Amino acid sequence: MADFDITDAGQFEHFGTESVGDSDWITGQHPMDGLLRGERLPHIWCQGCGLGTALTTFIGALQWLEAEQGWDLDKVSVVSGIGCTGRIAGYVRLDSFHTTHGRAIPFATGLKLANPELKVVVMSGDGDIAGIGGNHFIHAARRNLDITVICVNNFNYGMTGGQVGPTTPHGAKAVTTQYGNFEYPFNLPYLAAASGASFLARWTVIHARRLEWTLREAMMYPGYSFVEVIAPCSTSYARWNPEGRGLDPEKLRRRGLELMKHYQNIGKVAHGTHPKDAAIKVDKEGAIVEIVEGVFSNEPKPDFQSAIDEQAQVARERWQAAKKMLNERSQIPQRTDIIFRTEVQLGGFGGQGIVSAGRIIGQAAAIYDKLEACFTQSYGPEARGGAAGSQVVIASDPIHHPHLIEPTNAIIMSQEAYTKYVPKMATGATLLIDDGLVTLSPDQRQDLKTYGISATQIAEELGNSRAANTVMLGLWTAIIGAVSKSAMQQSVAKAVPPKTVEVNLSAFEAGFKKGLRYQVNNTL
Amino acid sequence: MHSMHSHEGLLIGEHFLLGDYAAAEGAIMAGCRFFAGYPITPATEVAERMSTRLPQVGGIYIQMEDELASMNAILGASWSGAKSMTSTSGPGFSLMMENLGLGIMLETPCVLVNVQRGGPSTGLPTLVGQQDMMQARWGSHGDYEIIALSPNSPQELFDLTIRAFNLAEKFRTPVLVMTDAEVGHMTERVIIPPPEEIELVQRPLVRKGDVEPDHFRIFRDPETGDDGQVAPMAVAGEGFRFHITGLTHDERGYPAMNAEASEWNIKRLVKKIRLHRDEIIQVEERYLRDAEIVVVSYGISARTSLWPIEQARKEGIRIGYLRLITVWPFPAEQIKALAKKIRAFVVPEINAGQILLEVERCAAGQAQVIGVNRLGGDILEPQQVLSALRAAAGKPDTTKADKC
Repeated sequence: MADFDITDAGQFEHFGTESVGDSDWITGQHPMDGLLRGERLPHIWCQGCGLGTALTTFIGALQWLEAEQGWDLDKVSVVSGIGCTGRIAGYVRLDSFHTTHGRAIPFATGLKLANPELKVVVMSGDGDIAGIGGNHFIHAARRNLDITVICVNNFNYGMTGGQVGPTTPHGAKAVTTQYGNFEYPFNLPYLAAASGASFLARWTVIHARRLEWTLREAMMYPGYSFVEVIAPCSTSYARWNPEGRGLDPEKLRRRGLELMKHYQNIGKVAHGTHPKDAAIKVDKEGAIVEIVEGVFSNEPKPDFQSAIDEQAQVARERWQAAKKMLNERSQIPQRTDIIFRTEVQLGGFGGQGIVSAGRIIGQAAAIYDKLEACFTQSYGPEARGGAAGSQVVIASDPIHHPHLIEPTNAIIMSQEAYTKYVPKMATGATLLIDDGLVTLSPDQRQDLKTYGISATQIAEELGNSRAANTVMLGLWTAIIGAVSKSAMQQSVAKAVPPKTVEVNLSAFEAGFKKGLRYQVNNTL
Repeated sequence: MHSMHSHEGLLIGEHFLLGDYAAAEGAIMAGCRFFAGYPITPATEVAERMSTRLPQVGGIYIQMEDELASMNAILGASWSGAKSMTSTSGPGFSLMMENLGLGIMLETPCVLVNVQRGGPSTGLPTLVGQQDMMQARWGSHGDYEIIALSPNSPQELFDLTIRAFNLAEKFRTPVLVMTDAEVGHMTERVIIPPPEEIELVQRPLVRKGDVEPDHFRIFRDPETGDDGQVAPMAVAGEGFRFHITGLTHDERGYPAMNAEASEWNIKRLVKKIRLHRDEIIQVEERYLRDAEIVVVSYGISARTSLWPIEQARKEGIRIGYLRLITVWPFPAEQIKALAKKIRAFVVPEINAGQILLEVERCAAGQAQVIGVNRLGGDILEPQQVLSALRAAAGKPDTTKADKC
């Protein structure tokens, strides 16, 4: 590279001010003027920073895509996070989003998924993408979402004054590692590769033309593409590290250029390098001594959107099937009698359908009998250890309190549930048990009206032991009378798997008949 | 995503629905076609329902890597023109605060359902709390106004989720549905009217050709850009080539780092809500005419206060009922007016007294303010509320167990 005559005359204030007015920076003479927001210039970047070149190559790639590939740049969105690179979104004349620190990728994910026509490019720094946003970086790679992620890596947090970052080389200095960085950096292409990305490239900004070519390819790539751009930080990183040693801090452009020359000298172009072999090499002082560059991988694989589209077809078919069932609903005449607050406790063990049974009662009451019904189930530690519990409140009036205060009746299908729930029941309440599974205790409460049925045995005889809960529901319907038989039958039929409707309705009928006999012959 | 949706795939009629499912169905009915979320009890069922239902109506469901990402993804989707939503609970709500702020700053319509559980920290994953009510108001840094609704049943989770979308679209802002584990995990009848009977609001939007891109101002409509007005937004891909930033910005969306810009920016964010308080605030009132004590509550705690209120009235205590369906913005004027007329406010809530602070602020010493609190893990016992009502009225508390 020629040794340009660089003077630092005309250096402008670059911190603390923002351009808010129209600008004469855009003359219309420069071929890239159309893609820059002139009114936002001058930019905030330091002299000698690599970001100007990174932006130039990006715009060059976009112009090529427009001219040679017919891209409509109205459909290109740029998303960035926070930091020096994050400001790129503010300078390109495209739909552009300057989001929060680290969150450019998830924002871009929503943008792209909600409108797959968009071409979405994330352009942000190493701290933003690999530090605070590292989790988003790897997950987007895993999904193979069709976006391009360009990470401009300057080896430190530049905007905040040069702190150590996730890419700072081991041994290198930063304002927060004055004794040398004791951590080890990410090898970003390798991280992306391990996460599933299959377009991987790295260039320094000194290789501007090849970088531009790669950016074209990356943006055209159908899937997640990742390009790492190594850029000099003339102000902060150069200040502390051997690469900038001996260079006048007052002459930032010179310092930046010297860094670029260094990158040129140590850059090693090797397309197809396995990313594991692409770690940036440093000497004992943390001075960068080798940067492997090139396109490491370009092997398209099925992208995320096509998987989503395939599933949508299955989902629509499933809706058509569900809709058919929804339409098959018969009507039951409105009840005119008054049902006072009825509290039902159901208890048993997992697999008996205790939760389903409670829901069936609630649905029968609320949907088919047009009563008020509130169904809740036990969660958490209470529901563990194989125990299952659910509760239903039924009434003609609105149910203010959704929990059971004192259960007026209970369906109990295990000894454990019997021990747990019976003491809480209201005085004079009705207890229904599967008497094949529950033995009444010697000091059984005398105020309770207790009815038993060998529900599990009956269900087994009908050919489906899982219908035991439905036997209990039949018994409950006949004895409690809070919900009509036809409502319960419809609710059962809607709730159970289609192939088991018949056996469940038989089970319900068996329980119901036993209940009617009890009504005549009194209790157990 | 931009086109009007067909009614194919919409669930209508009467259903015995889990509260969380009702929120999902409300969102779909409101036109939500993008959901990003992360599993968390007791909000997981919202996401589960959306994962099944959205692909049936041409929408997109995605499980993100965390709640930071979820909140960002719904903002991104909104800027692609989709009505978008996420749902979460306590710990996830904390993570969403960062980008709730971005949503407010970028004036992005979207809906966040918080199915509150007990906290702090991991707290009580499966059990109820109403401990995020102040976080809803102030949880993200900086000055802003927020809209938060509080449903008390699965039916209201359906209805208010639709309303949340309508408010989000109208005011170009994230809207919170602050429900709780009790309502989210409760199954009740939900009546879903046909879509023709549901009023939906669409965001003010400029489309290609409506205005010259050079004259477009993403945060202020030069025609109607007065106080409290919401500027039409554009969506990505329409040629406006707009820029938006979480930095303090001017009407074009460009960073503007100075006190004047900050004042302009924040005043606008605040005024568009404050000047429309009357339209946004919804309350349910009962027995306020003769009340000398007024219960101010919301969500499940308001609902469980109804039986104690009716019981107390039977005992001759003149109790009124003010249920905050909209919690934020707070109905300050109504509380101030009531404070001049009544003896005391009773504020039942499942926290250590959060909305109580607002009632105290508005009562300004003119009426006593009494909290009835349960600190997460369960809903308020009716007896506890009844005792507080009797105490507020200076009546002796009977020892016999009252029955609902």
